[in-house]
Amino acid sequence: MQIRKNVLCAITAFSLLGLNAKAQKVEFTEYDLPNGLHVILHDDHHAPVVAVSVMYHVGSKNEVAGRTGFAHFFEHLLFEGSENIKRGQFFKIVSANGGTNNANTTQDRTFYYEVFPSNDLETGLWLESERMMHPVINEIGVKTQDEVVKEEKRQSFDNRPYGNLVNDISADLFTVHPYHNGVIGTMKDIDSAKLDEFKAFFKQYYAPNNAVLTIAGDIDVAKTKQLIEAYFGPVPRGADVVYHKAEEPPITKQIIDTAYDANIQIPLIAAAYRVPGRDTRDAKVMQMISNILSGGASSRLYKKMVDEKKDALQAVAFNVALEDYGMYIIGALPNGGAAPATLLSDIDEEVVKLQTDLISPEDYQKLQNQFENNFVNANARQLGIAEALANGYTFHHKNTNEINEELTQIRSVTREEIREAARKYLKTNQRLVLYYLPKKGKA
Amino acid sequence: MKKYIILVAGALLMQYAQAQITIDRSKQPTPGPAPVLNIKDPVTYKLPNGITVLVVEDHRLPKVTASFVIDAGPITEGSKAGVVSLMGSMLNEGTKTMPKAAFDEAVDKLGAIVNLNSGGGYTSALTRYFKDAFTLMGQALKEPAFTQESFDKLKTQELTGLKGQARNAKAIAARVTDALVYGKTHPNGEFETEETVQKLTLQDVKDAYSKYVTPSRGYLTIIGDIKPAEAKFLATEVLGKWSGPVLTLPKLAEVPNPAKTEIDVIDLPSAVQSEINVVNLVHLKMNDPDYFPALLANYILGGDAQSRLFMDLREKHAFTYGAYSALGSGRFQSTFDANASVRTAKTDSAVTQFLFEINRIRTEKVTDEELTNAKALYNGSFARSLEDPARTASFASNILINNLPADFYKTYLQKVNAVTADDILRVAKKYMDADNTRVIIVGNSSQILDGLKKSGYPVNLYDKYASPVIAAAPQK
Repeated sequence: MQIRKNVLCAITAFSLLGLNAKAQKVEFTEYDLPNGLHVILHDDHHAPVVAVSVMYHVGSKNEVAGRTGFAHFFEHLLFEGSENIKRGQFFKIVSANGGTNNANTTQDRTFYYEVFPSNDLETGLWLESERMMHPVINEIGVKTQDEVVKEEKRQSFDNRPYGNLVNDISADLFTVHPYHNGVIGTMKDIDSAKLDEFKAFFKQYYAPNNAVLTIAGDIDVAKTKQLIEAYFGPVPRGADVVYHKAEEPPITKQIIDTAYDANIQIPLIAAAYRVPGRDTRDAKVMQMISNILSGGASSRLYKKMVDEKKDALQAVAFNVALEDYGMYIIGALPNGGAAPATLLSDIDEEVVKLQTDLISPEDYQKLQNQFENNFVNANARQLGIAEALANGYTFHHKNTNEINEELTQIRSVTREEIREAARKYLKTNQRLVLYYLPKKGKA
Repeated sequence: MKKYIILVAGALLMQYAQAQITIDRSKQPTPGPAPVLNIKDPVTYKLPNGITVLVVEDHRLPKVTASFVIDAGPITEGSKAGVVSLMGSMLNEGTKTMPKAAFDEAVDKLGAIVNLNSGGGYTSALTRYFKDAFTLMGQALKEPAFTQESFDKLKTQELTGLKGQARNAKAIAARVTDALVYGKTHPNGEFETEETVQKLTLQDVKDAYSKYVTPSRGYLTIIGDIKPAEAKFLATEVLGKWSGPVLTLPKLAEVPNPAKTEIDVIDLPSAVQSEINVVNLVHLKMNDPDYFPALLANYILGGDAQSRLFMDLREKHAFTYGAYSALGSGRFQSTFDANASVRTAKTDSAVTQFLFEINRIRTEKVTDEELTNAKALYNGSFARSLEDPARTASFASNILINNLPADFYKTYLQKVNAVTADDILRVAKKYMDADNTRVIIVGNSSQILDGLKKSGYPVNLYDKYASPVIAAAPQK
């Protein structure tokens, strides 16, 4: 089935309130191979494109002490080749077939993908099954990727304006949980890792029973199932992955910290709060709060600070929703010579308003429309759909259909719940205030 | 867990269901037959005031987008540098009848996006709110408020932004490169500074608006969950009665490349890397027979991470995280630009490799493998790009703007696939200069100058605003 659109009657904005209207539904089929690999298929024949993706449920939070950056480094290592793919050929095969590919690692999962013209589906399956079945993990690969990852760290974090902001916040918000370390880690830890550790990491986390294969696009479902069986069926099942969430003690006293960045000239002030993980209802409520504070030019922070007081160049609020916890970050950049402390009191005023007054029915309706619009835009490309389906399965208790339920859940959140979440999670004594300042001397 | 079983029927499927698939994983699979690409022409209308309306109907998602582009060509700002972009920002500051706060509220209430800029505007909304969002976009375009308060706010933001970029090597490199290559009085070479922005007035913004924001040479593209007739009706209702001056494309004198290759250095003592741009001017129209060979030539030289520059400067020599090239095309002059951010200590070696690779593609035929892979990549990415309905609309507007044959995109891959190694050699010689080019470097000159002087090319020094520095006393 293609994405189906339910016709919405021309109803007034208000009558939508509380209505479980669905703008569209993403259809899919799913099953497990005997080796535990979870397969999700979505067919859409609008364009001759297919996205092949594998999400492994492993990220930086699975790293052991003294091995920060390991999960991300490992992602790089898995482009080095396999028993049947020579070293350096992975990217070349993809582009020589007119495709594009990449991978990325977060605290919670590692996501590999190829997007091909649809006649190259089998090439995608071959590449991903080779990677899962028998990648080459050797000293040459480790040495090569070591250089590449060092450059990546420079380019994406150390040399990028505000590049280390989120890492600095994680370090302060988490004390016992591995989220403390961020994803990129330190190169020193990678340098001291032994080859056997990389091999063991593969065995422990890259088994089919810890992965989701999602294929979206111009496919014949029955034929695709057969190809999947042929390519992924022979991959052996691994031991079950055991993970224990480290419980953080609550923050009870405001933390104040300062960080310096040589790449910036304009300081940034941030307030950050620890919030519940992405599978919770409250994570969605926090997302709604982000829109109230900074979604669009009429949002409260933007309107007040950028347009009215003119003391900020930009003001943002967003929830970094992770599996075990979230990081709720509110930040602003001063305009002209405004002092960061002034911006913080502007932010605090708006948070207090959220904690005191219910948002107006008009603001509530605005939120609903913004979320519906975001939802429609998010599902415009096959790769985006593949990742959203895999996220549902991986992070919402095997509920692949989360993609279709999210909007209904957002609609069911009440104005009272929004005020309650602001009261519960945005307390000043539970937060970090980070002054992120230009580093003098070097620039 | 809910399951959605997909029912697909057909004889073909039955055949697959019965056949056992055997694979040989020691070999790369052979791709199936190339998909048939279906490029649907948009429905096109012309409004009496000069606006061309292009509509792509696509009902997969319950949303509609509209973008309006005014084809004014390059604009020369002169002493008012910065005014056009500031004028564009001012279009987002409310209308004559709706102050900014009310306008923003109206847009956000719909959950929509409405953005304006000096060359037009964009809106995206759920189908049921599209008419309202599009009407707001039209109002902002036709009757901007232009208040002094908004002007003062945006001016301080612009000045803060410029200060924030003062030591940004990439920003300096972009500015100086264009200024040196095109000249500071050319529309592509002029740039704004704190001084020019400081002097701008609200009247300057109003003047720029009345000159350049007009239905003349306007292209309105409407894409999504909408019938063409309805789109035309809306376009007429919102923009049909709008009037403004008739635009004519400016005629620009051709700018020559330097008589001899030179190295131009801009000192930035705080830089930890050197920004290198090897740049020459080109004039390559899209309907020129050289266009397709030139696309492939640039891809093979520096189009992506499989290309020669990347392989040489990053993979072989580890001078940089990435090295690429780009070859512009269109109605006006543009540039061929090969560039990288390299380790300071390897600046002169990187320059040598850049010139080596450019010379090589000018003098030696590319290999069959390079040519085959480049074609495959273009075939694949062309097919992949069709996922985006905006792509077909851009085909249509490109055809109109660049005066291309109507079947330009329908025969696009045919023309890509017909390119030979000889064609590539010919166009590389023509568009990628080695003897008449500029090597422009922003970096720590105290550490790179000696090495660069040994290259044998003349080395000139410029400041951050592209003014020559007396060689005897390099400052800062």
